[in-house]
Amino acid sequence: MERIVARFVAALRQSGIRVSPGESLDAVQALAFGGLRGRRLTRRLLRLTLVKNVNDIPLFNEVFNSFFSRYQFVEPETDLSGVMDAAIIDMEGEFNYLNEIKDDDHEPGPLLKLDSDINPEDLQDLKSLSEIDPDDSDGNEIVVQMKGYRGKAKAPRPARRYMQNPLTIDLNKTTGGDQGITFTPEEQIAMQEVVSRMMMRLRKDMKRMKNNQNRGKLHVVKTIQKNYRHDMIPFQVALRRKRREKPRLVVLCDVSFSVSHASRFMLLLLHTLHNQMLDVRSFIFNREIAEITEMLANMPVNDLMKTIDKGDIVDLDANSSFGQVFLDFKKRYLENVRGRPAFIILGDARNNYSDANDWVLEEIREKARYMLWLTPEERDTWSRGDCLIELYGSYCDKVEVVKTVEDLSMVVEDLLRDIYADSADPIDRKRLQEAKAAETYDSKDYYTRGTSGGSAPAFDPAGRSSW
Amino acid sequence: MITEQGVKDFLQTGGYIADDTIATAVFLALRMEKPILIEGPPGVGKTGLAKALSNALDFPLVRLQCYEGIDEGKALYDWEYGKQLLYTQLLRTQLDNYLSVSTDLREAVERLSSEESLFFSRNFLVQRPILRSFLSEKRSLLLIDEIDRSDDEFEALLLESLSDFQISIPELGVIEAKRKPLTILTSNGTRMISDALRRRCLYLYIGYPELEREVAIVRVKFPDLCEDLARQMVGFLRKTRELNLRKPPSVSETLDWAQVLSILQAAKLTPEVVANTVGVIAKHQTDLQKVMDLAVQELA
Repeated sequence: MERIVARFVAALRQSGIRVSPGESLDAVQALAFGGLRGRRLTRRLLRLTLVKNVNDIPLFNEVFNSFFSRYQFVEPETDLSGVMDAAIIDMEGEFNYLNEIKDDDHEPGPLLKLDSDINPEDLQDLKSLSEIDPDDSDGNEIVVQMKGYRGKAKAPRPARRYMQNPLTIDLNKTTGGDQGITFTPEEQIAMQEVVSRMMMRLRKDMKRMKNNQNRGKLHVVKTIQKNYRHDMIPFQVALRRKRREKPRLVVLCDVSFSVSHASRFMLLLLHTLHNQMLDVRSFIFNREIAEITEMLANMPVNDLMKTIDKGDIVDLDANSSFGQVFLDFKKRYLENVRGRPAFIILGDARNNYSDANDWVLEEIREKARYMLWLTPEERDTWSRGDCLIELYGSYCDKVEVVKTVEDLSMVVEDLLRDIYADSADPIDRKRLQEAKAAETYDSKDYYTRGTSGGSAPAFDPAGRSSW
Repeated sequence: MITEQGVKDFLQTGGYIADDTIATAVFLALRMEKPILIEGPPGVGKTGLAKALSNALDFPLVRLQCYEGIDEGKALYDWEYGKQLLYTQLLRTQLDNYLSVSTDLREAVERLSSEESLFFSRNFLVQRPILRSFLSEKRSLLLIDEIDRSDDEFEALLLESLSDFQISIPELGVIEAKRKPLTILTSNGTRMISDALRRRCLYLYIGYPELEREVAIVRVKFPDLCEDLARQMVGFLRKTRELNLRKPPSVSETLDWAQVLSILQAAKLTPEVVANTVGVIAKHQTDLQKVMDLAVQELA
C-alpha cells in the first residue's frame, strides 16, 4: 500500500500539487484507520490528507480518477491541450510580431487537424487568427483588421501566454473570449489574491515602521495603563502617535485599444487597491482625458468596464494622442493635484505622430514625488514607429515593462515602498532599502519574467533605474 | 471504537448534518490526533461543526478567537505579574528572615536565586486557551477560530503546539498536553495560510451543501416548517448563489430565512414574500435588486 500511495503522490506532484513526505505518511496512516472500503472513501481519505488547498481539489480528483482507473494508459486530456497550447504559442508568436511574418512563414495547417480536441476557447483563438491572412501582411492592412477587433472589444494578444507559470495571471487570458472586456469572477478573485499578498508583504514592513514612527511625546495615561502590571514602574513607554501621511497616487491610464489588455488590469488593480491604504486619483484617456476616481469607488468594476468600453467616458474611436492628453491634463487637473503624489502613467506612448508636448511632463514632474511609466510593450519595439517612450521616459524616474498582473502588482508594490520610505525615519528608510535590495536579489527572475524564451533582451536592473 | 457512520450519527443527534467528507475528516482527526483546518465561505457551519462536536462528544469547548495582533500572551500563556508582585510584598517578612541568615550580599543573592523558581511556577501562570486545553483533565475541543485574521508570526507560534501538542515555556521547560485536544482551525480565506501550517493539519473544505443536505439542515433546525416550503426556499437560495452576488447567501442565511418564514407563517414562496424578507438573504444594496429580479422570474 505504501508503494501505491508513494506512486500516487508522485503523480500528484507531477501535476503540480505540492505534497510533503509527512503528508504521504499521513495518507498511509489514514488509509490504515479508515480501511479500504470503496473508492469514494479512499478518495476522501487521500484528499483530506494530501490536498491542502481548495484550488487543488479539482486537479486532485482528476489525477485520482486517471490514476485509479483501469485505463491508465489513456493520457489525461490536459496533455493534449498542452500540445495545442504549444501550437498556439508558435502561431501567435508570428501573429503578434507582425514584422516577423514576412521573414519566416510557418505553416499552421497541420495544427488545425487537432480540432476535435480543442475547447471552444481555443477554437475562437484559431478563428481570430484566420481573420488575418499571413500572406497579406502589409502594415496598413493589419491596422484595419485591428479596428475591426475594437468593436468586439478584443485586444491583440502577445505571444507566449501559455508558457508562463500557472500562478501568474495573464493580462489577456480572456480578452479573446466572448466575455468582452468584463472580468470573470476568477479573474477578480485572482486579483484579490494578488493584491492581498502584496498588501501582506507591505503591511509587514509598514508595521515595523509604524512602531518607530510613533516617536512622539509621552502618552502619560497609556503609559500608566500599560505598566499597571509592573506596579506603575514605567518599563514600557507608550508614545503619542505622529500623524502619518497617506501616500497619494495619480494614475493616468491609456484605454485605447492597443493597450487595453494591460489597462483593464490596471483598472482592476486600482479598483481593488482603492480605499485599502491609498489615496488614488485615476484618469483614463485616449484622445481626451477623464477622471474616474468616483466611478472606480462606487461602481461595480464590470459595469465600469462596459461603460468605458462603449466609449461613454472617453471616445475610443479616435487615435490616442499623448501630447493632447498631457495638455488637457495640465489645463484641467494639474492645478488641483495636491500633496506631491506619485504619478503612474500606463500607455504605449504611441502618439500617432501628433505633437509630443513633452514639456508638460516637465511641469507634472515638478508636482510629482515620483513618476513611473508602465508600458506593455517589449523594449525592443520601443524605437519602432510612432512610439515616443524614449522621449517621455526621460522625464520619468522609471520605465517598466509590465505584462502580467504579477508584474503590475510588483511594480506598484515597489512604488508604494518607495513612497513610504520617503516619509519614514532615516533608520527605517535604510532598513527598507536593505530589504528591497535583498528582495531583488532573491527574485532575480523578476526582470526576465514574462520574457522567457531566447529573445529576451538582457536587462541590467541597476542601469534601468537611472533611466 | 468509533466509525465514520458513528461520527455522522452522533453529529446528527447534535443537530449537525454532516456529509461524508466532513464525517471522514472528523473520524480521521479523532483517530490520528491531528488538527483539522477548515476553509470555506462564511456561514457554512465551520464553527458550527466545532460546537456540535463539542456537544456530541462531550468535550469541553476551548475557543480562541484570532484577531490581528494576537500573541502568545493571549493564546498560550502569560505570567500573572500582579500576583507575583503581591506575593513578594506579602512575603516580605519571610524573605527578610530567610535572607538574614546570609552574611554578605553575594550569599544573599545566591540564596534568593535558588528560590527563584518559586516565583516562576505554575502558580503564577495564567492559562490562555491553548494551554488550558492542553492541561484539561478531560479531552477537550480546541477551536482556533478565523486563523486568517491573525498575522503570520502568530501562525508560526502555533506550529509547535499543533504538531507536537506541547508548549515550551522558557522558565518552566516544555509542557506537554495531558490529553491531546481535538483541534479545529477555521479560516475564511481572507489570507493565504502558510504551507507549514497546512502541512500539519488535515484539510477540509466545506462549501455550500447539496440540496438534500441543506433541506435536511433546515428540517432539523425548524421541524415545524413544512417540507415543501423548505425545499422551495433552499432551491431558490441555490439559484441565488449562482447570481454572482457580492455576498451570496450561505447556510446561516438559509436558517435565518427559514426562521423568518416560519415566524411569518408563510405557506409558499411568492415574489411578495421574498420582497418582504429579502434583507435576510441579501446583504448588499446591489444584491437586493438581483435577488428580487430572480424572485419575479422564478416564482411569479
